[in-house]
Amino acid sequence: MIGLEHFLVVAAVLFVTGIFGIFLNRKNVIVILMSIELMLLAVNINLVAFSAHAGDLVGQVFTLFVLTVAAAEAAIGLAILVCFFRVRRTIEVADINMMKG
Amino acid sequence: MAPDLILILPEILLAVFAMAALLVGAFGGGDIRARPILWGVAAFMALVGLLVGLNPPAVGTAFGGAFTLDGFARFAKAGILLGAAILLLMSEDFLRRRGLLRFEFPVLIALATLGMMVMVSASDLMTLYMGIELQALALYVVAALDRDSPRSTEAGLKYFVLGALSSGLLLYGASLVYGYAGTTLFSGIVAAAAAGEGPQLGLLLGLVLMLTGLAFKVSAVPFHMWTPDVYEGAPTPVTAFFATVPKLAALALFARLVHEAFGAIAADWRQIVAFLSVASMFLGAVAAIGQTDIKRLMAYSSISHMGFALMGLAAGTEFGVQALLIYAAIYVVMNIGTFAFILSMEKDGEPVSEIASLNMYSAIAPGRALALMVLLFSLAGVPPLVGFFGKLYVIRAAVQADMVWLAVAAVIASVIAAFYYLRIVYLMYFGAPREGLDGGMAPAQWIALSASALAMVLGVINLFGIEGLAAAAAATLAGA
Amino acid sequence: MLQIILFAPLLGALIAGFLHRIIGEAAATWTATGLLFLSAALSWVVFLTFDGVTQQIPLLTFIESGRLAVDWAIRLDRLTAIMLVVVGTVSALVHLYSHGYMAHDDNFRDGESYRPRFFAYLSLFTFAMLLLVTADNLVQLFVGWEGVGLASYLLIGFYYRKPSANAAAIKAFIVNRVGDFGFMLGMAALFFATQSLDFDTVFAEAPALAETRVTFLGMAPTAANLIGLLLFLGAMGKSAQLFLHTWLPDAMEGPTPVSALIHAATMVTAGVFLVCRMSPIYEFAPVALMAVLVVGTATAVMAATIGLVQSDIKRVIAWSTCSQLGYMFAAAGAGVYSAAMFHLFTHAFFKALLFLGAGSVIHAMHHEQEMPNYGGLRKKLPWTFAAMLIGTLAITGVGIPLTHIGFAGFLSKDAVIESVFAGDPEWTFWAILGAASLTSFYSWRLIFLTFFGAPRGNPTTHDHAHESPWTMLVPLGVLSLGAIFSGMIWYNSFFGKTDEVARFFGIPYVAASEAPGDDHASDGHAAEPADVARRAEEAHDSHHGAFAGLPGEGALYIAPDNTTLDDAHNVPKWVKVAPFGAMSTGLLVAILFYLIAPGLPARLAGATRPVYLFLYNRWYFDALYDAVFIRGARGLGRLFWKRGDGAVIDGAINGVAMGVVPAVTRAAGRMQSGLLYTYAFTMVLGVVLLLGWVMWRAAL
Repeated sequence: MIGLEHFLVVAAVLFVTGIFGIFLNRKNVIVILMSIELMLLAVNINLVAFSAHAGDLVGQVFTLFVLTVAAAEAAIGLAILVCFFRVRRTIEVADINMMKG
Repeated sequence: MAPDLILILPEILLAVFAMAALLVGAFGGGDIRARPILWGVAAFMALVGLLVGLNPPAVGTAFGGAFTLDGFARFAKAGILLGAAILLLMSEDFLRRRGLLRFEFPVLIALATLGMMVMVSASDLMTLYMGIELQALALYVVAALDRDSPRSTEAGLKYFVLGALSSGLLLYGASLVYGYAGTTLFSGIVAAAAAGEGPQLGLLLGLVLMLTGLAFKVSAVPFHMWTPDVYEGAPTPVTAFFATVPKLAALALFARLVHEAFGAIAADWRQIVAFLSVASMFLGAVAAIGQTDIKRLMAYSSISHMGFALMGLAAGTEFGVQALLIYAAIYVVMNIGTFAFILSMEKDGEPVSEIASLNMYSAIAPGRALALMVLLFSLAGVPPLVGFFGKLYVIRAAVQADMVWLAVAAVIASVIAAFYYLRIVYLMYFGAPREGLDGGMAPAQWIALSASALAMVLGVINLFGIEGLAAAAAATLAGA
Repeated sequence: MLQIILFAPLLGALIAGFLHRIIGEAAATWTATGLLFLSAALSWVVFLTFDGVTQQIPLLTFIESGRLAVDWAIRLDRLTAIMLVVVGTVSALVHLYSHGYMAHDDNFRDGESYRPRFFAYLSLFTFAMLLLVTADNLVQLFVGWEGVGLASYLLIGFYYRKPSANAAAIKAFIVNRVGDFGFMLGMAALFFATQSLDFDTVFAEAPALAETRVTFLGMAPTAANLIGLLLFLGAMGKSAQLFLHTWLPDAMEGPTPVSALIHAATMVTAGVFLVCRMSPIYEFAPVALMAVLVVGTATAVMAATIGLVQSDIKRVIAWSTCSQLGYMFAAAGAGVYSAAMFHLFTHAFFKALLFLGAGSVIHAMHHEQEMPNYGGLRKKLPWTFAAMLIGTLAITGVGIPLTHIGFAGFLSKDAVIESVFAGDPEWTFWAILGAASLTSFYSWRLIFLTFFGAPRGNPTTHDHAHESPWTMLVPLGVLSLGAIFSGMIWYNSFFGKTDEVARFFGIPYVAASEAPGDDHASDGHAAEPADVARRAEEAHDSHHGAFAGLPGEGALYIAPDNTTLDDAHNVPKWVKVAPFGAMSTGLLVAILFYLIAPGLPARLAGATRPVYLFLYNRWYFDALYDAVFIRGARGLGRLFWKRGDGAVIDGAINGVAMGVVPAVTRAAGRMQSGLLYTYAFTMVLGVVLLLGWVMWRAAL
C-alpha cells in the first residue's frame, strides 16, 4: 500500500535533487531552470499528497497556483537568460561572476 | 462578496490601473508614453497610499480569512505605496538621461507594489505565495532593465536564480506546514501549532523553510548573497527601489507570518530570528568596510539594517513589532534620501558609483554634502538624529524581552558599521581632492534628499507621530 | 585676610598677563611680585597667629548637582597654614629672583615680550597652589590640583622653541594624567561611599569606610584601602614617586626659577600634602599606608642612586627632590604625618635654595648646566657658593647628634628616619638610611664639582662668570635663613612631644594618666618580640599620652593606637646617631672622590660599567616606558589612523591593514565570489544549519 510517507519521500528526493542541481551544476544555466522546475514539482507532489491524505481540496488549489506561477517564472527566467546571452554570448554558470567582493 | 471586494479595493484599483497603463504603453506609442505613465503611476500609487492610510474603506478579513486588512497592513501599505511613488519620481530623471525610461518600468513597479500589498495583507499561505511571487517576478525583470548592460543582466539572472531557489524553499516549507496543520489559513495554523504537546516536527521544519524564504527577501545573512551583486549591477533607480520598499514589505510579511501563524510557538522561531539578526548586523557591518562602490556599500548597509530590524522581531513582543515598524519606516526614509543623492552622482554625463569620487565633495556642493552627511550620520545611528532612535527602539525591545546579549551585539555592530558611514563623511570633507562629480540634481531628487535629511533632524521632536501609528499597528498584529 | 592671600596672586597673574601692554612690562612684573610679597607676608601672619582651631570661610557655592553639593570655601587649619607659608614665601622669592634670572634670555628674540607671560604663569601657579592647599573639599582640591598641573605644563614648556622643552611638558602632562586618573577614581569611590566630598563629612565617615568592603578588579578591599590607594596614585603622579617619576627630571627643561618653585618646593609636595590631608582615611587604611611607605622608601633609594651619576646640575637636584619626596612619603606611610609635613616644610627652604643657587651658577655660566664644565667657581661666585653650601649642609643633615641643634634637614630628616624606624617593616629603615648617605654623597659631589678644583670646560665662559644681581642674591639669603633655622625653631611643633604636636596641629589630646589603654604594645605595629618588650618597658616611664578625638578634628588625625610618633622619640641612641653617620660617610667618600683623587670616579665607573650605565640611564625607566607605552601607543595610533586613514585617502581599501575587522572583511569579500553556485550553496548551508538546529532542539 502506498501511503502518505511514500509520496513525501519522493517529493523530498525530487526537491533535494533540484537543490543539488542548482549548486552542483557549473555548466549551463538552463539546467538551473530545470532544477527550479523540479523543486516546484516536488512541492506540488507534497501538496497533492497532503491534500488527498487530509481530504482537503485547498492543497490542490494551491497546486494550481504553483503551476501557474511556475510557468510565469520559467518564462521570465528564460527571458532574462536570453538577454544575458545576447550581451555576454555565454550561459555558463561559471561565467556569471562579473560582480563580486 | 461585496464586502470582500471593498477590502481589496486598493489592490483592485492598482491592478486595473497598471494593466490600463500597460495597454496604453503597448498600443499607444510605447516608450513615448513612458513619462506620462510614470507620472501617472506615481500619482496613482500616492493617491491609493493616502486612501489606505487615511481613510480605509473598511477593516476586516476577506475571502474566508485569506486576506486581512488591519491596522498593521494599513501602516505597511501606506508606507509601501508612498515610498514607491517617491522612488518613481526620483528615478525619472536618471532613467530618461540613460535612455532607460521604458514604459514597462512604471508598470512593473506598480505590479511589484501590488504584490507587496498582497504580501502584507496575506493571512493564508496561498495569498502569501501569490503576493511574494507577483512582487518577485516583477523585480526580476526590473533588475535586468538595462538589457544591453552585462552587469544589469547578470544582476537580473542572479536575482532570478537565487530568488527562485528561495521561493522553492519557502514553498516546500509551506507545503509541509499545510500538511501538518491541515490548513493554509494562518488562524488555522496557529491553532494547530498550539494544540497538543508542543508543535510537530514537520510543522517546525516547515516553519524554518518558510523563514529562510522570507530571510532571502529581507536579505538576512546567510541568505543575503544576492544583495551586493544585484544592488551593484542593477540600474541605480532599481537598486534604490530594492533597498527600500520591498524590504518594508518583506519585514511586514515576516512579522505577520511569525505572529499570526506561529505566535503560539514563539520560542521556536525567536532564536532563529535572533541568529539571522546577529549574523546580518555583523556581516553587513564588517563586509561594507572593504567596499569601494557606494551601491555595493549600501547593499551591505541594508543587510546590517535588516539585522537591526529583525532584532525587534526576535523580541517576539508587541513592542518588538512596534520597534520593527518604526525602524523600517525610518530606514526607508533614510535610504530614499541617500539614494536620491546616489542617483544624482554623475561625471561627464555618466553615472558614477565610486566612493572615491566623493572626495572633497563638500567643496563642490556644500548643501548636498551637508544633507548627505546628516543622512549618513543617521544611518550610522549617531545621536540625536532619527536613525539613532530607530536603533534605540529595537535595542529596547530586545532588552525588554530579556535578550540583553542581542542588544549588546547590536551596539557593537553599530559601532563597527559607523566606521564606513563616517568614512564617507570624512572623504567628503577631508578627502584628497581629485576630479570629482559634476552635474546637477533633478528637482525630485533634490527634494527627496533635502526632505529626508530634514526629517532626520526634525523628526527628533516626536518622530512625526510615527511612534503612535506603529504602536496601533503593532497592537492589531501582536496585541493580546 | 585669607581672601587676600588667595586672590592677590590671581590678581597679579591677570595684571601681568593682560595689562602689561598698557602699564608696561616692568610695572606689570613688579606689581605681580609686590602682590606675591603681600600674600607671603600675610601668610606668615596667619601662620604665626594661628591657634590650631580649624576654620572654614565660605566663598561661594561651586557645584550643586543632585546629592553632590560643593561649596567653595577656605579651610584654615595647621596644614593649610604651613602650606600657605611655604607656597607664599618661596613663590614671592622666586618672583623676585626671576627679575634677575629672566632679564635676558637667548631663547627669545629681541623685542619679544616674554617676561610678563612668565610672571603671569608664576602667579597663576601660585594661585592654583593656594587654591589646592586651602581647599575645603576634594573637588576644590582637584581644581587646584589640575590648575598647578596646567601651570606646570605651561612653565616647563615655557621655552616653546626648544623641542625638548615641549616634549618634557607633554611628558609631565601625560604622566600626571595617569595619576590623576587614580585620583579621580578615588574621588568617585569616596563620593560613592559617603555621598559627599566635603572633608568634614568624609572624615566623619572614615571609620565606616574601614568596615565597608567593595569589589574592585575582582578583589574586595575595604573602601578605605581602595580610596587610599587610588588617591595615592594621584599623589604619586604629582609628587613623582616611583613608576610615575619620569617626568620630574625632564621638567628641568623649564627655567630654573620654575624648577625651584614648582618642581622642588611646592607643587611636587602636593601629593604629600594630599596624603596628610587625608590622614583620617589613611589611618583606617593600613594597606594603603603600607603602600605609601614602600613606594616612598623605594623612590628615596632609587632617585638617590640615579642622582649619584648625573652630570647636569639641575638634574642632580631634581633627582634629589624626587628622593626627598620619597622621604616625606615614607614618614607619612609610617604614620607620622607631622614628620612628613616637617620635612616638606624644611625641604621647601633648602631645596628652593639649592635650585636658585644652581640657577645663579647657570646664570653666571651663560646657561651651561653640565657640572664637568664647572669647577673652581667659589671665588667668582662667593655669595652663591655660601648659599649653596648652606643648602647642602641642610639637605645632607649636618648638626650636632643627640641635640636639636643643626641645619633644617638635620632635624627633619632625622625625624623621618626615626619615624620609619619606629614603624614597620625594618628594611625600610635601612633603605632610607642608605639613601641618606647617598644624598650626602651626591650633594657634596655637586658642591665639589662646581665650586672646587680647577676650572674645566670653555675658558671664556669661566672668564665671563660673574656674581648675580641683588634680585637673585636676596632670595638666596632669605632662603638660607630658612635652611638654617626652620628646623630648630619648629622642631618641637612638628616632631616634639605628643602634646606639643597635638597643640600645634589642633588635635585633641589625652594626657598620660587617662590615655586609652597601655595595650598599644600588643597592636599590629609590634611584630618583633624585642620590640614589644622594649615598648612595654618604655610605656611605664616615658609615655607621653596619646592623640585622641575623632577623624576630622584637628588638621591631622592620628588614631589612638598609632603610637609611632611616640615610639620614634624612644628609639635607641644608635638610631639617632645613624643618620649623622650616613651623612659623614657620604661626605667622606665625596671628598675622596672629588677632592683627593679626582681620577677615581671614572675608574670606578669603568670597573662597574653595567651598574654605572644602569644608574646613568635612570634605571632604564624611560627606555622601558618608551618601549612599552609610547611605542605601543604610537603603534596603536598609527594602526588606527595612519594606516586606516592612509588607505582611505588613497581610496585603496582592498582590505588592507587595521586588524581583525579587515580580515573578516576580506573573508566576507572572498565568500562573495560572484558565483551563483557559491551563493546557492551558502543559502542551502544556512537552511541545513537552521533545520539541524530546530531538529536538535526538538529532539531534546
